[in-house]
Amino acid sequence: MSAILQVEGVSMKFGALLANKDVSFDVEEGAIVGLIGPNGAGKTTLFNCVAGFYKPSAGSIRFRGEEIAGLPSYKVARKGLARTFQVVRPLKEMSVFENILVGAYLGHPDNKHAREVAEECLETCFLQDWRDWPAGDMTIGNKKRLEVARALATSPRMILLDEAVAGLTSTEVREMVEVIKRLKANGLTVLMVEHIMEAIMPIADKIVVLASGEKIAEGAPKDIVRDPKVITAYLGKKYAEAMDKGAGA
Amino acid sequence: MDIRKFLSKYGWPLLLAALAALPLVGLVGPGFSSHVLITILLTAAMAQAWNLIGGYGGQVSFGHSVFFGIGAYGAAFAVCVGKTTPWPGVIVGALLAAVTAVIVSYPCFKLKGHYFAIATFAVVEIFNRVFMIWDWVGGAVGLDYTILEDGWRNFTWSVDKRGYYLGALALFALVFTVTRVIERSRFGYYLRAVREGQETAESLGVNSTGVKLTAMALSAFLAALCGAFFAQYNFRVDPPMVMSLDMSMKFVLVAILGGIGTFWGPLLGALVLIPLQEYSRAYLAKLGSGVDLIIFGLIIILMMVYQPGGILGILTGTKARKARLRARLAAEGGAK
Repeated sequence: MSAILQVEGVSMKFGALLANKDVSFDVEEGAIVGLIGPNGAGKTTLFNCVAGFYKPSAGSIRFRGEEIAGLPSYKVARKGLARTFQVVRPLKEMSVFENILVGAYLGHPDNKHAREVAEECLETCFLQDWRDWPAGDMTIGNKKRLEVARALATSPRMILLDEAVAGLTSTEVREMVEVIKRLKANGLTVLMVEHIMEAIMPIADKIVVLASGEKIAEGAPKDIVRDPKVITAYLGKKYAEAMDKGAGA
Repeated sequence: MDIRKFLSKYGWPLLLAALAALPLVGLVGPGFSSHVLITILLTAAMAQAWNLIGGYGGQVSFGHSVFFGIGAYGAAFAVCVGKTTPWPGVIVGALLAAVTAVIVSYPCFKLKGHYFAIATFAVVEIFNRVFMIWDWVGGAVGLDYTILEDGWRNFTWSVDKRGYYLGALALFALVFTVTRVIERSRFGYYLRAVREGQETAESLGVNSTGVKLTAMALSAFLAALCGAFFAQYNFRVDPPMVMSLDMSMKFVLVAILGGIGTFWGPLLGALVLIPLQEYSRAYLAKLGSGVDLIIFGLIIILMMVYQPGGILGILTGTKARKARLRARLAAEGGAK
């Protein structure tokens, strides 16, 4: 698999605070890559650099061979790299369908096609029953899936999910995992920042672990859970034991 | 076809046809009621022009009297200084207003919410002072029209108001039709998306600054056309008459009273406010000047307290609430 996104030596400073230090990794086309790490590890900062919300202080970010570091976010989106927000941001006074439609207009300027695409995304993300509902008035689970549907409607090559399952009930987590699997089945590449290991470990092809702004490990989920550095910094012994038991059973 | 769908599809053209028929049946002439009708149409067009950026785009501008004033001065300058018909001045004025809007708004759009609104206040003051001391456009005295021949060429009618009525109607039709087209287009959705969340809109590929500037330029262009009409209708222009916070407030308050960010809101606002203003000014003048403004202010306060959605909110609010409740009950009933 060739890399669709290449992050190379990215550092991000806020004044004296070094949020990311020399982070490098690749995201392979068609893969689901998870970005994990303890609070304050710099996951969201890195994520925002990729999405064009921050300009990294150093390093390069290449998407499909093109440098995108420092591009404004709307240009990043136009190149086929869509994102969701950790704290959901529905366009409140617009209906669920209209929210998705705004995304769909990116790849389909004409009304008819945009509406068709929006209807498809509505179904992919299990939102068809909420079509004409005001987007601000839904449960958090629906709002999180709306984030994904809206990003998906832009017809991206790759989608960035920022804690898409955080704060959801177990049913909602299952629905979201199903949505993410559907994205992969449609040929999309997914980079997701996540805290819920149960959600990410079974579906990720690769995990990148950050701690204190630096990459401390990268590899397949089964190797990551046994990596002593990751266990010390983030997962803790209990998790590794539980995973071992799970694997043994 | 249910009534709502019918109105949404044919309501607007039917209303225009009805308004166009009024002079044919003798309801528009030289009287005071014709003046009220013309003022309603003009004010609705002004509020709708503002509504494009202020309502749909969510950028509350108190600077629209500047664009209105530039349009008014364009027409008056062509007539009084250029000694020609107002038409070239109308076009040049509207284009200048659009360019001014872009230049002034670009730095102001770096500000958000209340800070943007405050910046636009300052813009009005600056333009007001500049026009006050600018002798080329008449300074504080302003520009006074000489007697012109009646008709469309000069866009003046000295007694019969039918010409003005049709002119106001054309202006009203233009501004509202532009709004309707935008409302249902990609640009309209982008504009509302920027209002609801600029960063979200950008994450979906929307160039929010570009969208806001385009809407502002269009809004200023249309406001300037209204200003040109205003100058032609009053036969004169001076800075306090057009470029003042009072005038800016009219744009904003009519839209808010009727229903901000809605197609019918500006018309409803003008329908309520203008007759009230004109008749109270005519019949309650013995109580002193400014009675109309007292009533005006009172209505706005009451409206903001009880129904921020404006008149349209009153008309549709109860229904929408009921529909929402029904839908929620149905959803809960259907949930596992």
